[in-house]
Amino acid sequence: MAFWVLALVAVVSGALVFKVDSMARATYALAASFVAVGLQVLLLGLSYIGVITVLMMIMEMAIMAVYMIMYMGMNPALMPMNMVHGKRTAAVTSGAVFLALTAGILLAPWPGRSGDSDPDPTAALGEALMGSKMLVMIIVSAVLLATIIAALVLALPRGRYDRFGSDLRCRPPTDPQPGGVGR
Amino acid sequence: MMAVLLWILIVLPAVVGGVLCVGGRRTDRVARTLGVGTSAVTSVLAVVAALQRPAVAVPFLAGADFGLRVDGLAAVVLPTVALVALLVLVFAAAWRGGDVPTAPSRFFGLMLLFLAAVLITATADTLPALLLAWEIMGATSYALIGFRWQDPDRVAGGATALLTTRAADLGLYLAAGAALTGGSDLTLSGLAGLPAPWRDVVAGGILVAALGKAAQLPFSFWLSRAMLGPSPVSALLHSAAMVAMGGYLLLRVAPLLAATGWAATVAAWMGALTALLLGAVAIAQRDLKQLLAASTSAQLGFVVMAAGVAGTAGGTTHLVAHAATKALLFLAAGAWLTALGTKQLDGLRGAARRWPVVGISATIGLLALAGVPPLSLWATKDEILAAVRESSTALAVVTLVAAALSAGYAGKVLVVLWARPSADHTAAGIENDFDTEEPGTRSVPSVAQSALIPLAVGAAVLGALALPPLSTEIATVLGVSGEPAATPVELISSGLLAVLVLAAVYRWGTPAPRWAAEWLHLERIVGVVVVAPVLSLAAALARFDDTGLDRTVRHSADRTMWLARRADDVDSGGIDAGVRGVAVAVVRSAREAKRPQTGQLYQYYVQVIVLLLFAALLLIVVI
Amino acid sequence: MTLQLVLIVAAALFCVGLYGALSQQVVVMVMMGLELMINGVILAAVGFYWFVSPTPTAQVVLLVVIAAMTVEMAMGFAVATLLHRSRNSDMTDMATDLSG
Repeated sequence: MAFWVLALVAVVSGALVFKVDSMARATYALAASFVAVGLQVLLLGLSYIGVITVLMMIMEMAIMAVYMIMYMGMNPALMPMNMVHGKRTAAVTSGAVFLALTAGILLAPWPGRSGDSDPDPTAALGEALMGSKMLVMIIVSAVLLATIIAALVLALPRGRYDRFGSDLRCRPPTDPQPGGVGR
Repeated sequence: MMAVLLWILIVLPAVVGGVLCVGGRRTDRVARTLGVGTSAVTSVLAVVAALQRPAVAVPFLAGADFGLRVDGLAAVVLPTVALVALLVLVFAAAWRGGDVPTAPSRFFGLMLLFLAAVLITATADTLPALLLAWEIMGATSYALIGFRWQDPDRVAGGATALLTTRAADLGLYLAAGAALTGGSDLTLSGLAGLPAPWRDVVAGGILVAALGKAAQLPFSFWLSRAMLGPSPVSALLHSAAMVAMGGYLLLRVAPLLAATGWAATVAAWMGALTALLLGAVAIAQRDLKQLLAASTSAQLGFVVMAAGVAGTAGGTTHLVAHAATKALLFLAAGAWLTALGTKQLDGLRGAARRWPVVGISATIGLLALAGVPPLSLWATKDEILAAVRESSTALAVVTLVAAALSAGYAGKVLVVLWARPSADHTAAGIENDFDTEEPGTRSVPSVAQSALIPLAVGAAVLGALALPPLSTEIATVLGVSGEPAATPVELISSGLLAVLVLAAVYRWGTPAPRWAAEWLHLERIVGVVVVAPVLSLAAALARFDDTGLDRTVRHSADRTMWLARRADDVDSGGIDAGVRGVAVAVVRSAREAKRPQTGQLYQYYVQVIVLLLFAALLLIVVI
Repeated sequence: MTLQLVLIVAAALFCVGLYGALSQQVVVMVMMGLELMINGVILAAVGFYWFVSPTPTAQVVLLVVIAAMTVEMAMGFAVATLLHRSRNSDMTDMATDLSG
């Protein structure tokens, strides 16, 4: 029962994300959707993952709100937003995809439950990660590192060596603020 | 050793003749010496060969050899031909006027080639050798008759001679084919033994060829046209060598003619008729060389008749004596032609008185021709007459009349030659008739005159071959014995007949009927019957070729061009357009392919989703 | 509560997110749509965990999905920053450099 309520909340708030007028409300709607999904996860016994999801989403919403204000430069509360393109195409496409997925879900022969869940899924997850699934962790950590570096490279206005020009030969280097030791 | 001798005899004149012909202007200076020298050597070799009787044979064609043999008949004829040729060439070398000085190298070359061909013909033992030499004789005779090639009439005369004799030569080829089919090895002596149908074909073929070459009826007209050649040519070819070979061939295959029966009869009657009619033709002639030509044909008629009635000994001796006599007369005619510029009888009045040697030699020859005893042709003619009388009385009568006619035309010439300038023919008047043919030199070289003397001696003396002491020797040599000989009564009566005819001609002259003067209109008849149809057929064929075949070829060419143009249309319209259409479609589709790439992210998403849906559908449906 | 129903809910979330990703012009809104899509994927993965294979391996899959979402967020914001800095715009319509 609780599951269905949460499901409804998730879908509706997800739809609301694109319907509401202000950015802040959109952010909150998205947060609500995610929280609902996280609670559903909790309901199904995965406490660790559920908690992670909720926490992560809330932090992400905060950051997203900051970005929105930064880029759109408007009063986050009040302006109507209706910047869409190709609304009909998008609706048709998403409707078609929903129909296709539903048809697939209903028609596919799903396998049965293959066992019982662990008494402590979190401990089991931890042991799996540190044991047989160590490779996954290593790769994920490498990917995260790469992401950090890539994001920095993309987002920084000037690198360490931009001051030397595109062929690194410009002397004296071009700095926005003069000074320093002249190197 | 003897075989080598025979080969040298044949090859020497051929090689020297070939060298002189090829040498042309370069060998002009040595032509006379080389020609006479080679002929002299050949004469010596011929005499030796006649004594030694060699024989050679080399494989030539499949199943047939190139065989040469000097048997009895050849032993008599070979030295004759060689010696007459030598004397004629001596005369030609010394001859200042006429055609020889214009191109001595070509003349002597051709004469030597001809001599080689005649020697092969005389000694031929197999049909291939005979055919080879026969053809070469015809070819060189054409070249020699048309020696002054700048004059189209002479060349036309040579062409007439060549075409007529070659048409008759087809008989020889037919005979060779029939002999081969009949299973013979193509030796002349073996021809008499062929099985019945082939033997007749062979005999008929050889008969036609020999009659053609010997200028018998109905082929006689070519000899008239051949008189346009130079006089030495007439002296050798048309008295002693080429026409004589026709008679010689018949003498050689006399056993074959006798075996077939009808061939001998035909030969005898053709010979007789020729002697008769051509004798009449000779009487009516006004040109000396034409008269001598008709006389040659008539005398060879005697030889052919002898072959037909199996009087081989008589025929052979007549051939030999006639060679000497006629060569002498032709050379004399040539000498007068060069000296006085005319060979018309009207212009030769008293010509014998101006150069005694020539005149007396010619007189001896003419008396021999008439058959006056004791000169050569009297005795030989009687030997033939003896054989004829055994065979058929009608033939004998015809022969007598022909002999009388020969006395007639000989007398005609004698009267003219010794005519004194009379009241209506002053010396100046005679001069008017000179130079009708060419400007005369008014001289006859002494060397040329001296060449006539041995011939005159021969004309006088060779009759001994037909008279009893030597006639049996000759018969043994020839391998024929038991042929009838002339009785003394016959001999005396024929001599008397000749003298009487001579006297009659002196007294009353000779008639000259139109039909005889025109050589029996033979040439015109042949022209209508043979030449005109052939030429019109050729013209019709040419027309057919131009209109029919040519048009077909051109039409097919037009059709091909049309087809090519249609193919080009299909190619440029159809295939080319197709290719171009494909290219245009590709370009257009390339331009269309750029349209989805708008750069808009959401549109890319939509495309991706559509593709994924299709892929999922494909997966589900296929897998 | 069966697997199919859970999956249908997840599909609904996914499609709502798809609609947003396709129709929004602002980069941040597009990313919100993407977030919703991944949200749907998480729900579906949990459904599979519960109804098909309740093993730690399924939980590891969930972790990977969450890590992917994190990475996507980071890269997306970095690109939005770069776009804003160079063109002073935050609309995807202005970023059609890959067109043609």
